[in-house]
Amino acid sequence: MTVLTVNGVNQVVDAPGDTRLLWVIREHLRLTGTKFGCGLGLCGACTVHLNGEAVRSCQVEIADAEGAMITTIEGLNGGQGGHPVQQAWLELQVPQCGYCQSGQMMNAAAFLAANPSPSDSEIIEAQQGNICRCITYNRIKTAIRRASDIMQGA
Amino acid sequence: MTKHMKKIGNFSRRQVLVGSAAGAGLVIGYSILPQAVDSASKAIAAGNWDHQQYLTMDADGKAYVYVTKCEIGQHVGTALAQAVAEELEINWEDVNVIYPDSHAKWGLMITGGSWSVNWTFDRNSRIGASARIALIETGAKMLGASPNNCYAKNSSVISNDGRSVSYKDILSKNTIDRTFSEEEMKAIKLKSFGEYSIVGQSKLPFDLPGKIDGSAKYGSDVFVPNMVYGIPVPNPVRWGAIPQSVDESEAKKIDGYVGAYVEKNGFARINTGYVVAFGETIWAAMNAAKALKIKWDLGENKNVSSEDIRNESVRLQEDPSSGFLWVLEGDTEEAMNNASTKHSAVYETSIAYHGCHEPMNCTAYEKDGIWHLHGGNQWQSMAQPTAAAALGVEADKVVCHQYLAGTGFGRRTEPDNFVLAAQCSKHLGGRPVKLMFTREQDMQFDFHRTPTYQVVEGGVEFGRMIAMNHDVVAGWSTKRAAPGFMPDSVDKKGKVDQFSTNGSDHWYDIPNHKVRSINNELSDKALPVGFLRAVAPSWTFWAVESFIDEMAKKAGEDPLAFRIAHLTANGKNAGSPPNSVGGANRLKNALLVAAGRAGYGVKPLGANEGMGIACVSSQERGSPTWTACVAEVKVDPNSGDLTVKKVTVAMDVGTAVNPEGVKKQIEGSTLHGISLALYEDMTMRNGSIEQTNYDTWTPMRLDQAPEVETIIIQNGHYPAGTGEPATTVVAPAIANAIENAIGARVRSIPMTPEKIKSALREA
Repeated sequence: MTVLTVNGVNQVVDAPGDTRLLWVIREHLRLTGTKFGCGLGLCGACTVHLNGEAVRSCQVEIADAEGAMITTIEGLNGGQGGHPVQQAWLELQVPQCGYCQSGQMMNAAAFLAANPSPSDSEIIEAQQGNICRCITYNRIKTAIRRASDIMQGA
Repeated sequence: MTKHMKKIGNFSRRQVLVGSAAGAGLVIGYSILPQAVDSASKAIAAGNWDHQQYLTMDADGKAYVYVTKCEIGQHVGTALAQAVAEELEINWEDVNVIYPDSHAKWGLMITGGSWSVNWTFDRNSRIGASARIALIETGAKMLGASPNNCYAKNSSVISNDGRSVSYKDILSKNTIDRTFSEEEMKAIKLKSFGEYSIVGQSKLPFDLPGKIDGSAKYGSDVFVPNMVYGIPVPNPVRWGAIPQSVDESEAKKIDGYVGAYVEKNGFARINTGYVVAFGETIWAAMNAAKALKIKWDLGENKNVSSEDIRNESVRLQEDPSSGFLWVLEGDTEEAMNNASTKHSAVYETSIAYHGCHEPMNCTAYEKDGIWHLHGGNQWQSMAQPTAAAALGVEADKVVCHQYLAGTGFGRRTEPDNFVLAAQCSKHLGGRPVKLMFTREQDMQFDFHRTPTYQVVEGGVEFGRMIAMNHDVVAGWSTKRAAPGFMPDSVDKKGKVDQFSTNGSDHWYDIPNHKVRSINNELSDKALPVGFLRAVAPSWTFWAVESFIDEMAKKAGEDPLAFRIAHLTANGKNAGSPPNSVGGANRLKNALLVAAGRAGYGVKPLGANEGMGIACVSSQERGSPTWTACVAEVKVDPNSGDLTVKKVTVAMDVGTAVNPEGVKKQIEGSTLHGISLALYEDMTMRNGSIEQTNYDTWTPMRLDQAPEVETIIIQNGHYPAGTGEPATTVVAPAIANAIENAIGARVRSIPMTPEKIKSALREA
């Protein structure tokens, strides 16, 4: 048994310790906003926060996540929704198919928390690992700038 | 093709019924009523109204628009609901969409070809209008007024003297019983461009908020009690392998291992044979898929490589007896003899992968004699009967339940994942199975875009092209997936796969024009090909628009002026209503807009920088979307590295039902086209796709996305499809820009730095 703290709730999970966190979040706890894209940490669709840091949950073994604060898209902004990143994503109508966008937003939220007013090249570097197959990259870039403005009260 | 497929949804002799039971809302749909039941409300009361119900309204006055399409990122339901709402005169806040289960009554359920809005706008407008008329008639009675003195606005019927009754009041207090003959439906006068208040507005897509808070449900998010997970074991070759024996001893040590489905006979729409591992958890199933030791008969394609497929294309093209004619006008041989300037060139494209970010999946189970298949699907009319055939049941015993899809790009027109999930569940006695492809499985077992080999030859006399010969060699997707849809060739020698050849029948006036369509059967055999966004126009326009540019330069003409000189809109290129009205004049206009906005031939450029232009009428001659593009590039001649600095796309869509949605489709498809043109290389070795995941197959990343400027041209003509055309126009624009930058012509997609350097050496 592994105890995981997901979106502030302790969850007892009956799964082998090497099970990847992604599958426990999605298939055991049914928080399906987190997506599977590649299984190798190459695409970012499965990005969640571990103690506030963006990680690829398909690469994290649950045994290593015990005791950490895990946040998924459903728990962003304390589960209230409307995080500045989500506000910006809605305002700019970023998603098309939407499949990668939870991962995109989780990645951007952790990045902006650490770097609230980034340069364009810092945004590109930070978001480089998140693939979008509808190729909404230009709107993602704009939305991260917009979220930064919202966070600063603009 | 469009014409042919539309026949399936032919509603002639059907009536539209607008009816309700007392105070219980409204149902609006097509139906053929039995003689005995002559009214809509009686049919509803009898509970056997088995019709195409495209719109319902509840007693609160809310409207529900039925969308038989798949949401793959294009927000199609929102645009289709806007068409209904516009004529229904309903407040947009009162509108919702429903994606019904598959059923024969819906006719053709397919999402592709940029057809959705184009095929459905008029019908949905008339459905909305018929409901409005019935509501006005009933509302007028309540107001004691003549319907002629009433109108509808903002979810209410209003009399000319200013009294009003809401749709909610009308629907909660009345029985409505109205029938429209087909003639009446046709006679309804719809609003025209300029009169719209909902069409033409960038309404927030219904599917968008759930994609921001994580609540959106995709096929892979389905859960069913007692389900097991199924993970396919990738076959060692793409097509032809058969499992001989399976050793489960290691898999059985895995906690939660359920067993394996070993299929040695295969199924035509899936593969020649396959193995799926089952687990109580997905982790158990994934580990089991790796632990199963399988002895394979590798089959006849075990040695096939990309080079072999290309060599076969070369051989076929050189054989004058190959292929079937798709276009034959004038006498190209004689005209070529008369031409003073001649040119010929070979254009190629590699294998391409759909790369849906949500890998293929389906959850299947049997309940009370009905097989339920859950997942995002672009062609339910194919998945339902094909799964039924595999299960050995009648088609009406299979129901496909629609979900959001993590992109489609045509991949979800294939029934394989649905059929395989059904077979897995049958193997387990009907127990629910959630079948999930891994990325590796998805990449290997795509129905890929065919590699293509095209030879174009042309001749110019007095500044005008008088001849064009075009040979298109490709794997044929329609021959595999829907052979009944293939039209006769113009020489009546046989059938042509229009989805391998569309686009070569372009809108340039060239009096002597011949297109030969040649099927590479080795490709068909080793690499079953499918339909990837825009399909044939992605390679035919690559050849046509690269060649026109080359031909212009060889004849000493400016590529833009040369194109315009051939877009005369004469004869067959004059176009016809509704879809292609205006013909080549609209393409010329789009070209001028893109060129003007981008500053083609005018903007100052630096060393090794260039601009290239291209224009397309993708998708088909029967449903063109007039699209032009200017690409601005910079090339490093030493490394071959290419930077696309900016792309300008002008698209004449006639009427943009949801302009922001159109803009997003243009942005995404433009960048998808660039990703395909530059980055998405794929190769076959030993019958197997060499790339396995996003490390070896490398689609566009954020730093590679250039600015895309979109110009949406609206002129009030019928709405055109917007999801695909831009995908086809960017590659030739980039190749033309590279030549203008460094004098080297690249004729092979993807245009890698190696190919650019090689072209420079030959320049």
